[in-house]
Order: sequence, then C-alpha cells, then structure tokens
Amino acid sequence: MASTKTKERPKPFLFPQFCKACGRCISACPKDCIEMGTEIHPATGFTPVVLDLEVCNGCGLCLSACPEPYGLMPAPADVDLELLEPETLLGERGSTAPTPEPIPDVRVPLPELETMILKGTHASAVGAILAGCRHFFGYPITPSTEGAELLAKLLPQLDGVFVQAVSEVATVNMIYGCGGAGLRCMTFTSSPGFSLMLEGISYMIGSEVPGVFFDVMRGGPGLGNIGPEQGDIKLACRGLGHGNTHAVVLAPSTPQEMLDLTMNAFDLAFKYRNPVILVSDGYLGQMTGRVQLPSYMIKPGLPEWAVHGDEAHRGNLICSIFLSEADLEQHNIHLLEKYDQIIHDEQRADLFHCEDAEWVIVASNTPARMAKGAVQQLRDRGVKVGLFRPITLWPFPIDALTRPLQRASGLIVVEAGAGQLEDELRLAASHAGIQDIPPIHRVSHYGGVLPQQQEIVDTVTALAGGIV
Amino acid sequence: MSSVFFERFERHAHGEGLKGHSTHYCPGCGHGLIHKYLAEAIAELGVQDRTVAISPVGCSVFLYYYLDVGNTQAAHGRAPAVAIGHKVANPNAIVVAYQGDGDLASIGLAEIMQACQIGLPMTFIFINNAVYGMTGGQMAPTTLAGMKTTTTPTGRTRLTGEPLKMAEIIGAMDGPVYVERCALFDNKQRVRAQKAIKKALRLQVEDKGLSFVEILSECPTHWKLTPAEAEKWVKEKMVPIFPLGVKKDLEAETERWFNLDPPQFDSARVLDVIGAVSRAPARFGEAFPSHIDAKDVAIKFAGAGGDGAQTIAMLTTRTAINEGFDSTHIPSYGPESRGGTSYADVHIATGEVLSPASPQPHILVAFNPPSLEKFGPHVQPGGIIIYDSSVVPTPPELDPNVQMVGVPCAQIAKQLGKVMVKNVVALGAMQAATNLFPRESFLATIRDALQKQSALLALNEEAFACGGTAYEEATNGTGA
Ligand SMILES: Cc1ncc(C[n+]2csc(CCOP(=O)(O)OP(=O)(O)O)c2C)c(N)n1
Ligand code: SF4
Ligand code: SF4
Ligand code: SF4
Ligand SMILES: [Mg+2]
Repeated sequence: MASTKTKERPKPFLFPQFCKACGRCISACPKDCIEMGTEIHPATGFTPVVLDLEVCNGCGLCLSACPEPYGLMPAPADVDLELLEPETLLGERGSTAPTPEPIPDVRVPLPELETMILKGTHASAVGAILAGCRHFFGYPITPSTEGAELLAKLLPQLDGVFVQAVSEVATVNMIYGCGGAGLRCMTFTSSPGFSLMLEGISYMIGSEVPGVFFDVMRGGPGLGNIGPEQGDIKLACRGLGHGNTHAVVLAPSTPQEMLDLTMNAFDLAFKYRNPVILVSDGYLGQMTGRVQLPSYMIKPGLPEWAVHGDEAHRGNLICSIFLSEADLEQHNIHLLEKYDQIIHDEQRADLFHCEDAEWVIVASNTPARMAKGAVQQLRDRGVKVGLFRPITLWPFPIDALTRPLQRASGLIVVEAGAGQLEDELRLAASHAGIQDIPPIHRVSHYGGVLPQQQEIVDTVTALAGGIV
Repeated sequence: MSSVFFERFERHAHGEGLKGHSTHYCPGCGHGLIHKYLAEAIAELGVQDRTVAISPVGCSVFLYYYLDVGNTQAAHGRAPAVAIGHKVANPNAIVVAYQGDGDLASIGLAEIMQACQIGLPMTFIFINNAVYGMTGGQMAPTTLAGMKTTTTPTGRTRLTGEPLKMAEIIGAMDGPVYVERCALFDNKQRVRAQKAIKKALRLQVEDKGLSFVEILSECPTHWKLTPAEAEKWVKEKMVPIFPLGVKKDLEAETERWFNLDPPQFDSARVLDVIGAVSRAPARFGEAFPSHIDAKDVAIKFAGAGGDGAQTIAMLTTRTAINEGFDSTHIPSYGPESRGGTSYADVHIATGEVLSPASPQPHILVAFNPPSLEKFGPHVQPGGIIIYDSSVVPTPPELDPNVQMVGVPCAQIAKQLGKVMVKNVVALGAMQAATNLFPRESFLATIRDALQKQSALLALNEEAFACGGTAYEEATNGTGA
C-alpha cells in the first residue's frame, strides 16, 4: 500500500499488544486523534487505544508521551500496516553488539634486584603495583592506612588513580564498578571497615566481579582497639555478606608474603572472577622486613566479560539478579562448582617439621611466626613438634594436614582470636570425611594481645609430658 | 523508536511472549518515558558503544533489560560509587547513573554527595516519584508533607521530616556543571525533560563535567490514581514543593574537566617509582654477631613518643639486612603510641626471623625511667642495657648478670646543637657496647637514610661517634 502523498513526518502506529492503555498519548495529541478503545486485548488484558489519523499532522507529540519503547512508534513507510507483525518490524536479535575477545595479561620480566626493606602494608602495596593494579579505592582506618598512603603517593606517578571514598560502603562499590570494567583494583581496610564492605562483596561474588580486599585485622568487637587480632577469619571464610558466598582467603605471615600473596591475589581474582580476601593482623601490617622482588610484573589485559564502556564490550552485563528461582539456583550451582574447583586447586600450606611431629601446631599470620619460634625452641630440646601454617584459610589446606593428623597425638591451635581458625580446621576436616581428629588444644589471645613464643613452648611442653 | 533499545528484551523473562517487547512498568509510569528519552539522547549523541548505564535498586532496577549499552546493576543507593569506579577505569566511557528517590536521596545520600562533590563528568538521572515504588509504596525522602504512604498511613508528619529537595541541594554544590528539575505531565514538560537529558549527556561527552537531572515522575500505582490523575497530581501537588527549572548551569564558563592519561606499565618506570635498585649495598661485617646469640638477636628500643626509638630500630634492621641477615622491626602498638611510651622490637637472625617480638631482649635501649622499669627486668642474663643517664639519674636495681650502661644521650645531643639526635647518640653507644655490626656498617645506613637531607649528615655522624665515645667513657674504656 504505497503512499502517493509526499510524506513530511510519519504518523504514529501501534501494535495493540504493546499498549498498556495508560492514555498518556490521548491528552498529548492536539488533534484528538487518539481515544481509549473498547475492546480488551486478549493477550494483555489491557484495553488499547485506537487511532484515527485522518487529521493527524505527524507532530509526534503522542510518540514522546508513550512510555513503552515499542508502544506508539512512527509508522514505517511502504508497508501494509494491517498485515504487519512485530517480528518483521522489530527484529529478533537481542543485541547487535559484537562478541568480545579476551586480551591476555602480559608477564613483563624484571632484572635481578636488590632486596628491599619494607613495612608489611607497603610490601603489599608494592605487590599490587607489580600485579598491574593502578586503581585504588579506600577509606582510612588504622592499622591498614599506610598501605593506602603509599599508593596515594605512587599510583599518580604511574598515571593510576587513587580515590579516597566517602566510606567503606562506597569503597566496595567503586571496586565493583572498576573491577566490573575489567581492571585490577584493590583496597586496604581493617575490621570495622571490612564489616561495612560485606554487602558489596556479596554483590561482587554474585556478579562475578574480581577485586582484592586487604583486611589488616584489629581488635574487636565494635570499635575494639587497633591491636593485632585474627577476629575476622570467620567473616572472610564464612561470612562474605548474604547468600552462598566464598572467596579465596590468603594469610601472609612475613613482609615477603605480603608482597607475594598480594600479587597472587590479583591472579586468583581474575582467574575465578571472584573477590580475593587477604587477611593479616596489625602486627604484620607494621612489621618491616626484607622483601625480594619477583622476576616479573604484570601488564594486565582486559577480560572479555568486562563492562568497559567501549564497542567490543557493549553487550556485557554485570548483575547479580536472577528473577526466576530456577535461574538463580542454576547460578548458585555454577558458583558452587567454582568453589569446589578452588577447594581442589588452590589449597596452600607451609609445613615446618611436620614429617615426624607428634604435636602439630596450627597457626597463621604473626602467631604462626611465634609458633615457628616455639617449634624451633622445642625441637632443640628434642620435642617432636611441627607447625602447620595454612596460607589459604579458605580453602583450608586440609589435604596437606591429613598425613600429619594421622601421626599427631594432639593439635595446638595458636590464634589471636576465639577459635575462628580452629573452626575452619574442624569444618574442613569434617567435610574431608576425617573422622578422628586428635584432641585440639589452644593458645589463644584476644583484644589485641598476641600469643607469645614462650607460652606456646610451655603449653606444648606440658602436653608432651613435661620434657624440659 | 530509538535503536539504543534492544530489538528484543531477552533479559526480560528470556524475551518470551510479549515481554520481549514491553517493559515491566505499570501503565502510565514515568520510568518508561525517561528510558525513552535517555535512549534517544544516547542515539543522537552517537555514544551507544561507549555508554555504561548503572541500574539502581528500585522499580528501574531492570534498566539493563532495555538499553543496548554496557550495563552494571548496582546495590541499593550505590550507583554513584559504581559510576566513579567505571569512570576512572575508563574515562572514555559515558557513564549514566539512573536512580530513584529512595536509592539516591535516602540510602545512597553519601555516595551521591561524593560524586557531586568530585564532579567527574558523569550523568545522573534522578527519578522523584515521592514514594518507594518497588517495595510497595512506602515513604520516600521526597514524600510530600501530609502524604499517605504505607509507612505514613495517616500522612507524613513532622516526625518523619520534610521532603528533600535534591536538585536544589546538588545545585548548591561546586562539583556539578548543570542541574535541572523537569517533569513529564504535559507535552511542554516532556520536551524540556528530553532536552535536559540530552544536555546532561552531551556535557559528559564534551568532558565538561557532572550533570544532574531530577525528574518528577508519576507512580500511578502507589499514588492510587489513574495515569491522567497522576499527571495532574504532579502538576498541582509536586511542582509547588519541587519547583521546576534550571538550578545551575555553568556550561558556558566550563573548560574540559580532565584528561587522564592511560596508566603506565613500563617496567623501568615501575621499578623507579617503587624505589627498587639493582645495586647491592656495601657490606662491612664478616659474620653474624654470634657473640650475642648463636642464631637470633633480640633488641628492644623504648622511650617516649618523639625520642626516636623507631628510627634507630629501623636503622638497625636496615643495617642487618644490608649485612645479609634476616631482620624485622615492629613498632609499638596501641594507645601507648600516642604520647606515652613508644617501643620497637627488632630481631636479627642468621636464617629466618621466627618470632618477631622481643619480650626477652638481649639488648635494651631505654630513653626514660618508665621504659627502663618496664623492660629492664626482662633483659636476658648476659644481656646489656643502654639507658639515657641524662634522663634516668638513678637506675633501678636489676639482674647483676645484665650489664647496665648509662650514657647521657640527651645531654650530648644538646651540646651538639639538636636534642633530636639523642637517638643516634644512643645508637652509637649501642654499637660500641655490643659490636652488633661494625661502625662503618651503621654509618652507611645512616648516610643512605639521609640521602635527601644531606645537611643533617654531619650532625648525625658526629652524634653516632659521640655515642661510641661516651660509652667508652662510661665504662672507662674497659668495656664493662
Ligand atoms: C540494602 C537494601 N535495603 C533495602 C532494600 C529494599 N528496597 C528495594 S527498592 C527500595 C526502594 C526503592 O525506591 P526508589 O529508589 O524511590 O525507587 P522507585 O521504585 O520508587 O523507582 C528498597 C527500600 C534493598 N534492596 N537493599
Ligand atoms: S502525531 Fe501528533 S497529531 Fe498525530 S496522533 Fe500523534 S499527537 Fe496526534
Ligand atoms: S501512551 Fe502508549 S501505552 Fe499509553 S495508551 Fe498510548 S499507546 Fe498505549
Ligand atoms: S510501582 Fe510506581 S514507579 Fe514502580 S513501575 Fe509501578 S508506577 Fe512505576
Ligand atoms: Mg521512588
């Protein structure tokens, strides 16, 4: 039905099934061309408007009044509107966006370098830079701030970005945006700040956004104090916000590991598209020691899933919503499979004299160093004691503990916290089907007090039958 | 019809049936119109590929069903923070945050204030419908006085506050370049809203700065009005409280906002910035100070804040590491570090420092009576204590197996012209007393630390030397 009139402006056209009968177009039309219909549309239950376009001048005002994207639209030229079907007019493609390819990371070799002398949080900050992190978001909180302060100084020199967020809540959401854009970014925080980030971390896990969170744990609960504690292990391992969440939790115990594990954290975060949590105590954050730089640094690529704001990635979506229960269950199953793979592939532990140990001390972070000193002291006296130091707190490295467990007469969990590390051990053993764990003894302190070498020695000595 | 809408809304219930082409909004809802204007503006400015739309939590949570652009769905109220993350990640991205009144003006107030305070070129579309639509019509910060909602069943009272006027608040801030409030209730208002949204986006495309457009938007469902009545209600009830119009427009006088260079990944540059060097420091000692301990020497430096205990602890650790050993330094921790005692634990080990705390040190350097009293009794038998005798005239009686040497550090430093260097005097005394590492080794570390303050070098070297001499004098050159 080709029109013979010269057409200036198209007149409106409506598929009645896409009309919600709001009537906004009726009052918009200066020519009274539109009125409410009388017939209920069987597919929608609405009563769509009817158009009588005899006097219509194509002003388009009705088009701008219709809230529906595919409601009133300009009539296409040269088609028989009576026979027009949505499929022919609207197309079937969801999006015309291209399919993006991943741009891989590049490992850039570094020359051999002199040992550096760095404070723990600084070592981690340097690790972040070497891992290709150029974006930092954070809110000051002792005892984590020095890491942030160093990055505030260094990142701009590399044309990176340091943003002091308005809160930890804002921080995690900036990381969500920047990580969602496919970039390596991180924050330093401490316990109260970490609590505030948990909703956002749950969103990140649900949306599969990578990011690195360094929690320099301090004494709690509440405002507590700024002394060293390990009271956030349960949050990091079991409490990452709502939902079925998990993330790799890394626990460095030397300035060297502060650097190395921060670098690893970025790789793991992008490998699994999941946040990674580093936990240390405040003592370690402040501890200065020697740090050997790695033989490479990372020049990051760009993952294919990023919402980067460019042509290649236009079709992407960062989102944790799955309205249908079936879809959300499927998504959870996908996440659980990911966690299983992490449990299988990423357990890491450091074993010290565990081969023949009758007594196995389990400790992480700074308490593990006190414990290592104690093991050395006890070994010098002939006590068969070893140290099992989980480097990943989640997944707890239970596989490596299985053999020491068979020989040990007892375990001694040394922690600056009330059984949070012990609970991880017990849960992991239980999940691994280990029936009889030897009795678990404790050397624990709370509130900013660290277990000391001598009391560990004394505890093991008493257990081992008083050999002095 | 704008091409920026997906041809089919596959994210809307998998695009099945009518959902593939209709929105989830109630009839007459303002959100749909604003989506349309936003889609048109993106298309007209030619920025579809660069756009990142941030969906809020609220009825418009599903913005990503409809707009064929990069999409991120944010937590309730946090869209401005997410937007900042996206914008600094890629300054070339056109970032649009779309938020309701509960989202932006209640739970997310801090985030929107920060975004507007910074003023990065971004576009904020604020939908004021005076209620919480999504959760079923509760009071919003923008609910009118006296207005009934499910949480103000008898009408909004003084106890629940007056409506928050965001456009005026944001308009009063320095960050944004352009702030306007529009409405949708008739053709004229709709044209204005279309123009405002397009301008807000254009100002970002031109890198001018942050724009904020508030739109009074109908929620017929929770207002319990027909769509026609809802339009009228905006005009008659909302507009008097929320006056329409431009609140701020600095377009004419604003230059390009910023131009971020892409981050650098050149390895030489990176190593330079982090301070890595490939030169090995000179070594002066031959062996581990095993005359103090076979494997692990523990030292404690203690004084009041400002005594400089941390500095010499750090110098000691650096010296030890330069000599090829493992060493750690931990500063005192907790409230003591504010004005009270400040102490530092240092370990030096042949292999690896195990426990880094020094509860029973071999060496104690004490700058005042409280530190000497607190830590003196824990020094290991055979150990040594250096204390500042100008501050501690009468030292306590301690284990006779511990050598006690008083050196008038503060007094010497004063004579040298700067009390500040009393810690270096103490370090010199400690070196002489323990021969932990050769004198030259400590001096090399001091020189290294003062690289950028060479004016202070001579003074520090002298202080170090005087410390050594003073120790010899205090012990009459016998070393005991
Ligand atoms: C942390 C959090 N608290 C509360 C909610 C519940 N919630 C969802 S939407 C909403 C209010 C949305 O109102 P508004 O921003 O005005 O958007 P509208 O639906 O009116 O467009 C609330 C309180 C949530 N999703 N998350
Ligand atoms: S184009 Fe103008 S005249 Fe024609 S129906 Fe629409 S509003 Fe009326
Ligand atoms: S404005 Fe659109 S949805 Fe509303 S009645 Fe008119 S055609 Fe139908
Ligand atoms: S509840 Fe209100 S705001 Fe939400 S879709 Fe319906 S009309 Fe729109
Ligand atoms: Mg609302």
